[in-house]
Amino acid sequence: MSTAGDSRGVLRVARIPARVTLALQPLVLCRLASQLHNPIKVQMPALSPTMEEGNIVKWLKKEGEAVAAGDALCDIETDKAVVTLESNDDGVLAKILIEEGSRNVRLGTPIALLVEEGQDWKQVEIPPPDAPVPPATHAAAAPVAPPAAPSPPPLPKPTTSGPLRLSPAARHILDTHGLDPKLATPTGPRGLITKEDALNLLKKSPALEATPVMAAPPAPSAAPRLAAAPPPPGSRPNIPPLSVPGKPGAPGTFTEIPASNVRRVIAQKLTQLKTTIPHAYASVDCDMAAVMQLRSDLAKEQIKVSVNDFIIKAAAVTLKEMPEVNVTWSGDGPHELDSIHISIAVATDNGLITPIIKDAANKGVQEISANAKALAQKAQDGKLLPEEYEGGSFSIFNLGMFGVIGFSAVINPPQACILAVGTARSELRLREEDQTLQTQQLMTVTLSSDGRLVDDGLASRFLDKFRVNLEQPQHMALA
Amino acid sequence: VVELLTTDGLWLRGSSGARVVVSRSFADFTPQATFEIKKCDLHRLEDGPPLEAELTRDQALQYYRTMQTVRRMELKADQLYKQKIIRGFCHLYDGQEACAVGIEAAITPSDHLITSYRAHGYTYTRGVSVKAILAELTGRKGGVAKGKGGSMHMYGHHFYGGNGIVGAQVPLGAGIALACQYQGNNQICVTLYGDGAANQGQLFESFNMAALWKLPCIFICENNKYGMGTSVERASACTDYYKRGDYIPGIKVDGMDVLCVREATKFAADYCRAGKGPIVMELETYRYHGHSMSDPGVSYRTREEIQEVRSKSDPISLLKDRMLSSNMASVEELKEIDIAIRKEVEDAAQFATLDPEPSLEELCSHIYQNSPPLEVRGTHPWAKLKSSY
Repeated sequence: MSTAGDSRGVLRVARIPARVTLALQPLVLCRLASQLHNPIKVQMPALSPTMEEGNIVKWLKKEGEAVAAGDALCDIETDKAVVTLESNDDGVLAKILIEEGSRNVRLGTPIALLVEEGQDWKQVEIPPPDAPVPPATHAAAAPVAPPAAPSPPPLPKPTTSGPLRLSPAARHILDTHGLDPKLATPTGPRGLITKEDALNLLKKSPALEATPVMAAPPAPSAAPRLAAAPPPPGSRPNIPPLSVPGKPGAPGTFTEIPASNVRRVIAQKLTQLKTTIPHAYASVDCDMAAVMQLRSDLAKEQIKVSVNDFIIKAAAVTLKEMPEVNVTWSGDGPHELDSIHISIAVATDNGLITPIIKDAANKGVQEISANAKALAQKAQDGKLLPEEYEGGSFSIFNLGMFGVIGFSAVINPPQACILAVGTARSELRLREEDQTLQTQQLMTVTLSSDGRLVDDGLASRFLDKFRVNLEQPQHMALA
Repeated sequence: VVELLTTDGLWLRGSSGARVVVSRSFADFTPQATFEIKKCDLHRLEDGPPLEAELTRDQALQYYRTMQTVRRMELKADQLYKQKIIRGFCHLYDGQEACAVGIEAAITPSDHLITSYRAHGYTYTRGVSVKAILAELTGRKGGVAKGKGGSMHMYGHHFYGGNGIVGAQVPLGAGIALACQYQGNNQICVTLYGDGAANQGQLFESFNMAALWKLPCIFICENNKYGMGTSVERASACTDYYKRGDYIPGIKVDGMDVLCVREATKFAADYCRAGKGPIVMELETYRYHGHSMSDPGVSYRTREEIQEVRSKSDPISLLKDRMLSSNMASVEELKEIDIAIRKEVEDAAQFATLDPEPSLEELCSHIYQNSPPLEVRGTHPWAKLKSSY
């Protein structure tokens, strides 16, 4: 018990509910003046470890709306997903500084201001956008109106007072070009000189690029390096600029060539058919002695044919003998063709074109030769008609004139096979009969076939027959 | 129902109807009050902690201050992490402040405490300053572990961290209790673990040895309902963690009420100091953030659930309401404390951001407790580093 004048006492509480309503408290509306104008800044957070900037997708609270700790404030699109930003404080959302739909907002930029409940949120002071954002705000002692043109102490740059901080890529670039890191302006966190800063410094000093790199020791830093090795003298000159390991395509080390439409279409088509058609490969070496002999014999009679023409003829003849290879893919199965049209691949400036030699099996080598020459010329001039390059059941691609020994080609759909022909090369062979050495002219051909139509077994038999036809051209008279 | 035995009406109504306060002296506040606290479920115990707790004004303000500091410190760590000033692991403790503060209120600074990686709150209650904690999180030389430990390796006086491996600290805690028993110094060891670690095998090995040798160890399970993202129903066959000690007595405590935690820990400490052996406590609590900073925390629970806990059982709000309803403090006083704490945490964050990192000479130091400079193997057998001490 106590008298009225006694201000002390012991309070006995019978029951306290979990949340006591505010009505029981003495209601006091006087607040300290210094609290009024210190809005809480909401900054753009790093919602994923690799995030540098984000987009604000949607604000979930309006200006003037009350916000409780844990409430969702806005949706932010990171480099990976859309994540909701929650508020850590209670208050009223006073001002949205960055509207929804803004893109590429950097980490740390203030995006909104929160004030405490009960304050006039309309009168909130908006900090100027270019002021550096130190975390400290002087709360209780600040006067009512915070300085409108603030100069809060900017974060001191460690380059002036502390050790130089270089990223490994930046250090490599500056070392190789013999540049002074102190001249670079750091833009990374806590005064880090990033690779971009190093490259900017490089751009600004083009005179240094032309001189050969001397062993310029790296700029001294307060922290001792554990393994300090200056670049060896006489290392390679800087034209073109060195690329950085792991990042070969750094700016300044490549030029972009825009792709023409034809190239783009070729690229797209090639990707599609290389990935959708199951290719099977088979190679065989052909002894070209007989063909060479035949060719030179014909040349004596003023008939000019090339080795390629013989190859075309041999392929056509083999296809006639093995019609199950002369198929196309009709969507769900092989579709045997009744005529043999061979496409030959011609390299032009605009890419690869495949004009067709029609009915090759029934033409002689001379006629094939004439056709091939005419078509090649038309292809180079870009004057091929559609029926001259559409269709065909088998392709031949010869890169022998470039000295290529062997290669594998990509099938032209809807064809089943393509034969890749290399150059004739000389090889020594031991003759069984009399144990003497003999030079052979071998030529490697590789057949790429559509595994659904011409599997390895069939391809091998085809190649064997083809080789026999080519090595003994007299067989072609039988067809 | 509240009976106010003092009436000192110093409130005036101004002419416009606004209420104005004339200065109130601290002598107007109630110096002490008794509150009812929830009854604790008991396992293998006849009597449990008392049903009423006495709270003085000073104690109340101290608990409020500590809890609010831990809360703001954790939120500031969240903010700094989102600005990429803190990197790596960061497991935040906001929502669970009553556990740390209640336990600390019941033990003495000479008692021992060891916990898991959600340790920032305990680091503070065991005596490390906010500045040192935040600087350790940012990895600067002003940090409590000189910037070399980070979030999960902070230590203090009779505080053994800060342990990254789940459940690894429980055998260590039993060992510390063994040391207390061996040295006969009447100290106890409080060993904390979470609901996720409660199913680890080494805990039961520790229980066995502690019970066998009657070690003065309080095993406390902080059950925040989710082990990373797995709710307790999906993780444990038996979710009564206070009963998991089997032959060890257990108490289940409301971990959001700081007074309940304090009384239960006092009871447990007395039990251990009397030589009766170990005791298990389960603190039912809740964390507002996700498991760590890479966990948004809303993929396995709804935002509504978090908001509900925040509004109904937030530990700081509970204490604040108690203080205000029993007239132990005024709203402005608490607001002043809030502002002061905010400033303290801001200053600490500023320090943590601007402090320099430890220099490279420190790389190999502090390997042994007491040794002259020695040679240390670097990243490959032919790289040699020198430690300064």
